[in-house]
Amino acid sequence: MSGRSKGWGIAVAVCVGLWLVQNGSEDVTPPVPSAAQAFAAGPAVHTDAAADPLPPSEPVRLRIPETGVDAPVTGLGLAANGALDVPPAADRNLAGWYEDGTTPGAKGTAIVAGHVDNAEGPAVFYTLGALKKGHRIEVDRRDGRTAVFTVDAVEVYANEDFPDEKVYGEADRAEIRVITCGGGFSEKAGGYQGNVVAFGHLIGVR
Amino acid sequence: MRTTARLLTGTAVSVAAIGVFTAPLAHAGDFATLEVYPSSASPGTTVTVNTTACGKHGRGVGDANSLGAGEFQLNPSTHKEVVVGQFTVPQHTKPGTYGISVACDNGKTARGDLTVKHRPPSGHVPTGVGGSIGPDTAQVTAGAAVLAAAAVGGAWLLRRRASGAQGH
Repeated sequence: MSGRSKGWGIAVAVCVGLWLVQNGSEDVTPPVPSAAQAFAAGPAVHTDAAADPLPPSEPVRLRIPETGVDAPVTGLGLAANGALDVPPAADRNLAGWYEDGTTPGAKGTAIVAGHVDNAEGPAVFYTLGALKKGHRIEVDRRDGRTAVFTVDAVEVYANEDFPDEKVYGEADRAEIRVITCGGGFSEKAGGYQGNVVAFGHLIGVR
Repeated sequence: MRTTARLLTGTAVSVAAIGVFTAPLAHAGDFATLEVYPSSASPGTTVTVNTTACGKHGRGVGDANSLGAGEFQLNPSTHKEVVVGQFTVPQHTKPGTYGISVACDNGKTARGDLTVKHRPPSGHVPTGVGGSIGPDTAQVTAGAAVLAAAAVGGAWLLRRRASGAQGH
């Protein structure tokens, strides 16, 4: 009996080993937000009143505790075509903010962007697509205060169908957008096919 | 009726109190209103200001140095009693609210505010090159280790079975 069960054990081990090798050989891509995280799926976790906006002050560091993001923030301008510039790709742990726009925590829409990866591997916002409604985005500011945002939704948009007004439009409370690449990757079609955007609003100040 | 009267009296007292406190402030600068259009503008935009402070056929000099736009002239417009001037918001002006003042030839001064907002970005952001995409080497390594262990175990089992068969 023992010989036969050992034989079975080895057969199972062979199957598990083969599966691990076969499955592991498939390409791993950055996390993609599920439909449940979209605005269309229903209200966010924090639907109570937003916190009062802060006076403007530049951001210095951004954290997303649930996904282990903790990165310095650099200023970004606009490229010649009107698109947001991106932080230098060589630094894998660096986020950027649109410095001619709203500062995070102030009234309006603060815009933050960072790389999902660079040539070497995952970068600061690799896990952005894994964010869920109710997760926190914390921004340390030069005035010593920390603006705490709650995630209202995480959505994916195709590059050629990017909703400017929804993402960059003005808000009458303190809001934030965190943007990175995502939405499928195609070497032939020139890389990532879209952007992942996390939407948040201010719920507290520390 | 009585309550209404009391309320009214109360209101009158409050209004009087506010008057007492605000009146000196209003007098301190003696600024007339300067209309700024648009009141919110992005760099590159031409902003028009006008005021009645300079009087009929008056002239004035505007000061937009707060946002780096220098000084500008105000001349009588087609509308009587209004002087008009223009300046352009410089590209380097940071977002914020800036005070614009006008000194009239008649000695009066007018003030108004201009909020500078930069146009938001447009389109998607190129924030990745695909360097994170590839096989899960850790998982492949683990799978290979499991297969190796199974091979060793299988060989051991076969050898034991073979020696057991000899024994019988």
